[in-house]
Amino acid sequence: MKQRALWSAVVVSGLALAGCGAASDSGSTSGDAEGGDGEGRLVVWDWKSGDESAATYIEQAKADFAEKHPNVEVEFVAQPFDQYYTLLGGAIQTGSGPDVILFNGGGQIRDRADSLVPLDDYLAEDQDRLAGWDAFTEDGQIYAAPVTLQGHPIYYNRALYEQAGLDPDNPAATWDEFVSNCESITDATGATCFALGNQEGIGIEFFLSALGSAVLSPQEYDDWIAGDRDWSSPNVKRIFELWTEVDDAGLNSEAPNSTAMFNDSFAIFQSGEASHVIGLMSDVGHWKDFSEFLGAENVGVMQAPVVEQGAAPNLPYDGGIGYAVAEWTSDPELAADLVRSLTSTAALEAFFADAGAIAADTTIDASSAGPSVATIIAELENGRPALHVALSSETLELMGRLSQQLLSGSATVDEAVEQLAASDQAG
Amino acid sequence: MPIGSSTLSVRPDTARRTGNGKPRRARAERFAPYILVAPAVLIIVALRLYPLVRGVNFSFTGDGVLNGQLVGLDNYMTLFDDPLFRQAMRNVALLVLLLPVAVAIPGLLATFIYLRVPGHRLYRVVYFFPAVLSPVIVGAIFNLLLAYGGPFNTLLGAIGLGPVDWLGDRRVAMFTVVGVHVWATFGMALVVFLAGFATLNSSLLDAARVDGASLAQEIWHVIIPGLARTIQFVFVTTMIGMLTAMFGLLFVMTNGGPEGSTYLPEYYIWIQQGQMNRPALASAASAVLFVVMLVVGLLQISVLRRSGRED
Repeated sequence: MKQRALWSAVVVSGLALAGCGAASDSGSTSGDAEGGDGEGRLVVWDWKSGDESAATYIEQAKADFAEKHPNVEVEFVAQPFDQYYTLLGGAIQTGSGPDVILFNGGGQIRDRADSLVPLDDYLAEDQDRLAGWDAFTEDGQIYAAPVTLQGHPIYYNRALYEQAGLDPDNPAATWDEFVSNCESITDATGATCFALGNQEGIGIEFFLSALGSAVLSPQEYDDWIAGDRDWSSPNVKRIFELWTEVDDAGLNSEAPNSTAMFNDSFAIFQSGEASHVIGLMSDVGHWKDFSEFLGAENVGVMQAPVVEQGAAPNLPYDGGIGYAVAEWTSDPELAADLVRSLTSTAALEAFFADAGAIAADTTIDASSAGPSVATIIAELENGRPALHVALSSETLELMGRLSQQLLSGSATVDEAVEQLAASDQAG
Repeated sequence: MPIGSSTLSVRPDTARRTGNGKPRRARAERFAPYILVAPAVLIIVALRLYPLVRGVNFSFTGDGVLNGQLVGLDNYMTLFDDPLFRQAMRNVALLVLLLPVAVAIPGLLATFIYLRVPGHRLYRVVYFFPAVLSPVIVGAIFNLLLAYGGPFNTLLGAIGLGPVDWLGDRRVAMFTVVGVHVWATFGMALVVFLAGFATLNSSLLDAARVDGASLAQEIWHVIIPGLARTIQFVFVTTMIGMLTAMFGLLFVMTNGGPEGSTYLPEYYIWIQQGQMNRPALASAASAVLFVVMLVVGLLQISVLRRSGRED
């Protein structure tokens, strides 16, 4: 009897303790910062501050913040990116951890907006100077200040164009012309048209965003971004058909489903084995990486070639990474001030110079960095938010898997868009 | 039930002392067993049972806006509706089916070493070597070897066979990863087999040879029955290894792809918690994995008990 009573007690107390549980903590606990203008300590989580190329940027930001709050200590904790959101998930669950958090724009920050402080009031002065706010906005409120712009330019190898007798200053404006140029390049040099890595399932995201504006009408594009997405429309299907056609026609580098985008596919482009790659604007897989291997003069950026009549191609870009303030921090104003220092012009200038990231600050002069950067900067004005950034992480994960099925032929475009529509509407 | 049994053994003693008029000491002795087992019980309750109960409790709550609210079995419905989770469970079944192969390979190689094939000392070292490498390193090595344009396919091409997309074809990828996992871990099983061979009665083998048994007959009629317990042990440990230690390889080699074909429950839990920010759903998946492991564990106990009884 005694034994049974003891065990019941253990079980009952266990359940009582667990009874009010929740998988993530919604209550707020105090952070590390103390006092607005007094002494204190702020902890920043990111995956950048350990990089050599970000050292000057972090130094500049720290100096700017130290001027305003000399007694507040700032600690940068660089986490491995592979596990960043897992670790952050742990911090969110316990309701304690960093005061200032680096985020990717889009789904990653929107999914976690309820653990962050809306920054509209604190960042009002920066709203004209910085670009890319949309990716950090949820329900009309801003949750982070953009540091870099992330977009998906189509980079091309100008040297390969020349070897094939094509004019590198006039890349194709229509899809048919583009495919015929690719064929000439392959015949002359053996290089495939696209370097594609889809092992992680990210290849389709880049493809959708880079070529979407060349397929959808401007109205369809706006509707998509606004959340009104018609997955069964002929033009949306056309994008996914194009994805399979490109592979079936042998335009992709070989075995994309087992090639990692980071960084195997970029290596294929850098080694001249492919003439085009859909890359990034931020600090990896971008103009600076490619220029190191191919020479800045040989790296070009082209507009997406028009696939469907009536489309108006543009450069897809959003806020890339940005700093947010955790909801559990004890002094949001102080933390927001640190966010402002991290997005100050001096700091962002250093980030652009060292890492080559296209910074969110529109006042930085980037005219001396080569033809590809000049094209990107020129296209920023007409650029639109990228199509894939508007999707939830669940839909993106599903799209990654479906894109692999489309390449292997185990799913049809109709099946794919049907599943994507269901996932998009559920989310 | 350590608490109950120790209470029983102490109680008559305590009663006698109380009768002798030493209540304080008697009380101390009555509580002594509880105090002695308290640290162990507290550690188990605080670090094992409590998190377990919390995890199961989380699995009945919602994610996102439903955070903290009870949602009943919704998470479990979502799980079994999710083709990805079903694929992960199918892969667990596939691992169970591949288990005999994973046990036979080290068993056979250990037999050859035991039968002293030429160079057996060298093989013993070489076979064990991969067991000291971390899964991340093994994965990175095989990523290079098995790349579509990599050395393995070049070799196949040289003997006239077409290239295989080892990690990019959904019908092949899971077998590739299991193959690499077996390659990386069979050294440990081999050592266990060799230890088993040390207890094998060699006069039985000599007698079989005198009677004119072939190698196959020696293995089937003498070695396998003699090693029954070792084989059972290797089965159980290999199964646990496959279910719990393949995350690193999957992470480095396939990311669960292509087409989700190499998902295992562990990887699914990690994705849901870390990438999708759905801790409650991840808790439900953990609870299912826990039940699977419990079944495997109970089978293990029953197998070990039965083999113990045979002695």
